[in-house]
Amino acid sequence: MASTEAFEDEAAYVLHRRAYGDTSALVELLTATNGRVGLVARGVQRRRSNQAALLQPFQPLRISWRSRGDLGTLTATEPASAAIALTGRRMVAGFYANELMLRLLPRRQCQSLTFSRYAALLEQLKSGGAIGPSLRVFERDLLTDLGYGLMLKTDTDGNPVEASTWYRYELERGPVADPPGAGLRLPGQALLALASGEPDTADDPPLKRLMRSALSLYLGEKPLKSRELYARYRDSRPVDGEDATNE
Amino acid sequence: MSFSPAVQELMEALRCLPGVGPKSAQRMTFQLLQRDRAGAQRLARALSRAAEDVGECVDCRTLAESEYCPLCASNERDRALLCIVENPADVHALDEATDYRGLFFVLKGRLSPLDGIGPAELGLDRLEQRFAGGEVREIILATNPTVEGEATAQYVAEMAAEHGIGISRIAHGVPVGGELEHVDAGTLSHAFAGRRSYR
Repeated sequence: MASTEAFEDEAAYVLHRRAYGDTSALVELLTATNGRVGLVARGVQRRRSNQAALLQPFQPLRISWRSRGDLGTLTATEPASAAIALTGRRMVAGFYANELMLRLLPRRQCQSLTFSRYAALLEQLKSGGAIGPSLRVFERDLLTDLGYGLMLKTDTDGNPVEASTWYRYELERGPVADPPGAGLRLPGQALLALASGEPDTADDPPLKRLMRSALSLYLGEKPLKSRELYARYRDSRPVDGEDATNE
Repeated sequence: MSFSPAVQELMEALRCLPGVGPKSAQRMTFQLLQRDRAGAQRLARALSRAAEDVGECVDCRTLAESEYCPLCASNERDRALLCIVENPADVHALDEATDYRGLFFVLKGRLSPLDGIGPAELGLDRLEQRFAGGEVREIILATNPTVEGEATAQYVAEMAAEHGIGISRIAHGVPVGGELEHVDAGTLSHAFAGRRSYR
């Protein structure tokens, strides 16, 4: 029998929650030190449970839990701060990030950086920055954390990417300089902007195509549901006209 | 187990009910077979009739065995008001507790992209048709106060706004008879943000 591990007062966010038995819930969380974990929250679906209000997406939490094997048990939940209030497209963008992580991150694979990046993404969504570029950087980092990082600063010949040159991006290889014809073409400047972590909205359309293709290698056939929803919502800050999520 | 097959099967069947474990299923089975045969017959008839006949109301999607549920068929309800709820049980709760005289629309769930539940699964196309029909002048959003419930409310509000329909949402707040210090932070902040003028 595997030994029991216990964790106290760990920072976490709920990614997803679903009913488990009559009164319990199975909660997928992203934790600061253990990466994604699946925990059973006992009694949370009961009428007078005070945990139900806390175990919601976008609510910063401090949790205690124990585990024997793959599925653990949540033993305590406290709010770390007020919930991050997202509305409209910003909320759907948050769901999109959650869906990406549920689809791509294996449980208990410790990626401490993913947690702080996710927290930063939620803050950006809340503070009203452009949605698309924030999501692109999050996607870039998620791929890096999974070991599928994209080559952005150097082309396939080993030369530095030039802002004024056009490239054809070959997935799992990198940018090919001065490509003839079709394929995933994008300007060097967009690649460099993504590499710097500060792409602007003008760079977003080619970068979105790039990330969509790169992510689809690992997401498989099943489409992302949050993406379908995105277009139907309004942005509270009406600058991003276009669909910013990715598939 | 020493039970005969029919008794055993009844026990197992009863366990599909929420909150019924093996022990309660056993007690129910003995109660039905030993002490209340008539009740058992009645339960069996009611169950099989309901399971066969009950579908959903064409207008509001609540559980009903005829084309329209009693509320939608009634002449005494205000057809310009439409309250949007997640579950059939919510219809009953609101109808009992309030003096609301309008109609309801039951989503039978909430938007939850991570569970694969989108607008189509909630019958929102039907709701859109209803908005387009022009009868509805105001909607009252009464989805549950969860993040998914909020996503659903916003989606429906977008649709209603496109048709120039008035939109309101039920208040979220401190339970009556409760004490502020025992209310969770999320509820309290909602209650505070949603305060209204007092005089």
